[in-house]
Amino acid sequence: MRTLFEFIIFPGFLFTAIAGMVFSWIDRKVTARVQWRQGPPFFQPVYDFIKLLGKETIVPSSANSVIFLLSPLLAIASTTLASVILWKAIINPQSLFVGDLLVVIYLLAVTPLAVILGASASGNPIASLAASREMKLYSAYELPFIFSILVSVIKLNTIKLGEIILSQQSSGIIFNSFSGVIAFVVFLLTIQAKLGLVPFDMAEAETEIAGGVFIEYSGVPLAIHKLNRIMLLFIIPVFASVLFFGGKFWSIIVVLVLIILIRNTNPRVRIDQAIKFFWRTCLIFSIFAVVLATIGY
Amino acid sequence: MNFITYLIGLPLIGGLLCLLIPKAKEVIAVAISVITFAVSILAFVFPDQASQYFIFDKMSGFVALFISLFGFLIVLYSIKFMQKLSAERKISLTQYYCYVLWTLAASLGAVLSNNLILLLVFWGFLGLTLYLLMQIGASDFQESSAAAKKTFIIIGGSDCFMILGIAIIWFLTGTFQMDKISINFASYNSPSLPVIAFVCLTIAVFAKAGAMPFHTWIPDAASTAPIPITAYLPASLDKLLGIYLLARICLNLFNVSAYQHINVFLMFIGAITIIAAVFMALIQHDLKKMIAYMNISGAGYMVLGIGTNNPVGIAGGLFYMLSTTLWTSCLFLCAGSVECKTGTTDLDKLGGLAKYMPLTFLSSLIAALSISGVPPFNGFFSKWMIYQGLISSLPTSNFQLLTLLFIAAAMFGSALTLASFMKLLHGVFLGQASKHQNIKTSERISEVSWTMWLPQIFLAVLCAIFGVFAIQIPLKYFIFPSLSTSHFPFPAVFSGVWQPGLATLLIIVGIAFGFIFYIISGLKYRISDTYIGGETLPSEVRVTGADFYQTIKDIGFFKTMYSLAEQKMFDIYDWGRKIVSSVGSVLSELHTGNFETYLSWCLIGAGILLLVLVH
Repeated sequence: MRTLFEFIIFPGFLFTAIAGMVFSWIDRKVTARVQWRQGPPFFQPVYDFIKLLGKETIVPSSANSVIFLLSPLLAIASTTLASVILWKAIINPQSLFVGDLLVVIYLLAVTPLAVILGASASGNPIASLAASREMKLYSAYELPFIFSILVSVIKLNTIKLGEIILSQQSSGIIFNSFSGVIAFVVFLLTIQAKLGLVPFDMAEAETEIAGGVFIEYSGVPLAIHKLNRIMLLFIIPVFASVLFFGGKFWSIIVVLVLIILIRNTNPRVRIDQAIKFFWRTCLIFSIFAVVLATIGY
Repeated sequence: MNFITYLIGLPLIGGLLCLLIPKAKEVIAVAISVITFAVSILAFVFPDQASQYFIFDKMSGFVALFISLFGFLIVLYSIKFMQKLSAERKISLTQYYCYVLWTLAASLGAVLSNNLILLLVFWGFLGLTLYLLMQIGASDFQESSAAAKKTFIIIGGSDCFMILGIAIIWFLTGTFQMDKISINFASYNSPSLPVIAFVCLTIAVFAKAGAMPFHTWIPDAASTAPIPITAYLPASLDKLLGIYLLARICLNLFNVSAYQHINVFLMFIGAITIIAAVFMALIQHDLKKMIAYMNISGAGYMVLGIGTNNPVGIAGGLFYMLSTTLWTSCLFLCAGSVECKTGTTDLDKLGGLAKYMPLTFLSSLIAALSISGVPPFNGFFSKWMIYQGLISSLPTSNFQLLTLLFIAAAMFGSALTLASFMKLLHGVFLGQASKHQNIKTSERISEVSWTMWLPQIFLAVLCAIFGVFAIQIPLKYFIFPSLSTSHFPFPAVFSGVWQPGLATLLIIVGIAFGFIFYIISGLKYRISDTYIGGETLPSEVRVTGADFYQTIKDIGFFKTMYSLAEQKMFDIYDWGRKIVSSVGSVLSELHTGNFETYLSWCLIGAGILLLVLVH
């Protein structure tokens, strides 16, 4: 019962959703200020969500409706679980709840998986193109993502999230080393793609393929997909903070601000440019970081 | 009489009966495989004593159990499938069932034998039945006989290495009895001889299980042989046997812990196999070939796990072996059902089948999620164990950086596996329905008969159960007992945390809440046409899954690698063929058919002989 409460209210679904909405508002406000606009009011993410709930749900005739409607639920359930695992570790590092670092990595991979399944299930050719992009993007960023996480694993020699936080509290954060800084920079770039933000938003690309993977979504399923994105905007900075800063609160905000700045100062790249960027530049830097970490820097 | 005699004897006699009473071949095959499965359950529960020739411990017991399970499922699946296939092509079903049962007997014999010579005999016999099975169900005789020949040469060639390895073992220890052999590298001053023996035996393992560089027969076999055969031999039995033998070699026959190079060698082969095979899988256009490459990359994970040489890694490798047989044979059977209904396995011509074949779609979805390591299925659990094995070997390793690269290769491999399966699911079951396939078969496409979907669903459900209840069922009954010695203090080995039961429960709760949300919001939706920006698509234009990863194929480095792979530069068989034919072409220059030339060669030879004798 207690677990159920944790899963649904705190630090699970409700908490993550609210925090994610706050983060999303910060994101939109900062973006607006960068572009010399006024920006939305504080409750705008809530209004958007409620507006979508009131809209009609449309399922394309070519779709496999079960997979199409199940995909947002699968994504949001996994994201919530990842959030609970991370927050339980931050609140009480001794507790061994459900999963470790590897589990979180794989749970975060469920979102692209569900999005792709949903897009393919719609039977729309544009969604298929976008699904292909999303999948390529996922395989591109996953390699440097893994390498940058390995830096923390080498330095702390554990995959339990609680121990990762505890040992950073006792013996200094990972970011305080050469390899840690490089790994963090690579990690920051990969999560930009993981969140589907500019410059790596080619799978959604409103101006080009009209929302791409979400093109056929509307109403409640779309609201859930958007909410999932908003929750990820909160979870992934938390994950970065756990890995590189020992779960300190200020670092979550720092990561968020950096993400917003990258997003506002770059144009969208093509998918092949993104693949080359992740498999060449990022990979070299992240391997360099791993080598530095093995020799103790 | 004991169980082992029944286990090997029953299928052997059953095969003969099929030949004698061709009319009742299906009944005999099903009955014999069911009885064998039942006997293997009994034998697993009440294990026999080890004798000089046969051994029935926990490890061989559980492998035998799954071999006979696959035997039964494949025979069940074959009934309808082969009936249809034999109507299209001329296939002798009598021979087919006979060989299938003999394969079952030989595999059980190989797993249960406690004597290296006996093992070798069964092992060789398996290579023969594989060759025969590939020959009879040929779609295109020329092509399939080439593939069968290739398979036979690779498997047979690796058997030669096995004979050499066994001979060296006999030379070192003076016995063939497996439970008495224990070669410790540390006790030799220069361990070159034991290392050669070890490498020879691992070559046989790699060829059987399909690890690089002896993997090339699997894609060829998959694209030409009838699908039940592919699901039976390369996908399940050969994996079980190969990795079973590797585990025996690494755990019982040799003590490799003193010699870290051996472990790094195994892990290196494993990691290379994972990455190379999965990259090949990404670009395949044929469903069967794609699954075949995924099957090869699975072998990489097992070798990687066993190569870590620490308890959790080895247990992970064995668990991965068990899991991989479940999901690859499930996927092959699903591909078979698709082929049966649409007449093709070309991704370009398929699409949108999920509506027509929901059960096949469901089982391949579960199998695909398992193989890609999505929690909470069995693929995630076994990969998780292998990663832990690698990570926990880090502090004591002399090859830290290499081990890290192996971890990254394994994790990245699983990301790419997910990518290939998204392509597969999109190309076959989701996406736009193919006009080509609809016009012809819109009435005919429906779910396959129960003898075909039952094995698929059964395997898929096993994937899910073995993932959610991993600790309670497969690890408790199969994996840990087979390793449980003082060296392996199970189950207190995990260095991470993963509670699949609770996680599954929470995810299900989450999805249930979502459904309630849908219901509250009315649960009514409008069906409408797809939105493509107001344009009208010509009916022949559609996005197939086939070219999903063209971008990757076009990147400089990969372009070179793929074109090299297409020229078969990484095919050891092709290299062997080229070497043999170039040596042969030199020698054939001598055979001019000219009598004088032969005579002069004879004279020169006689002269040299004379000189030698005089000296």
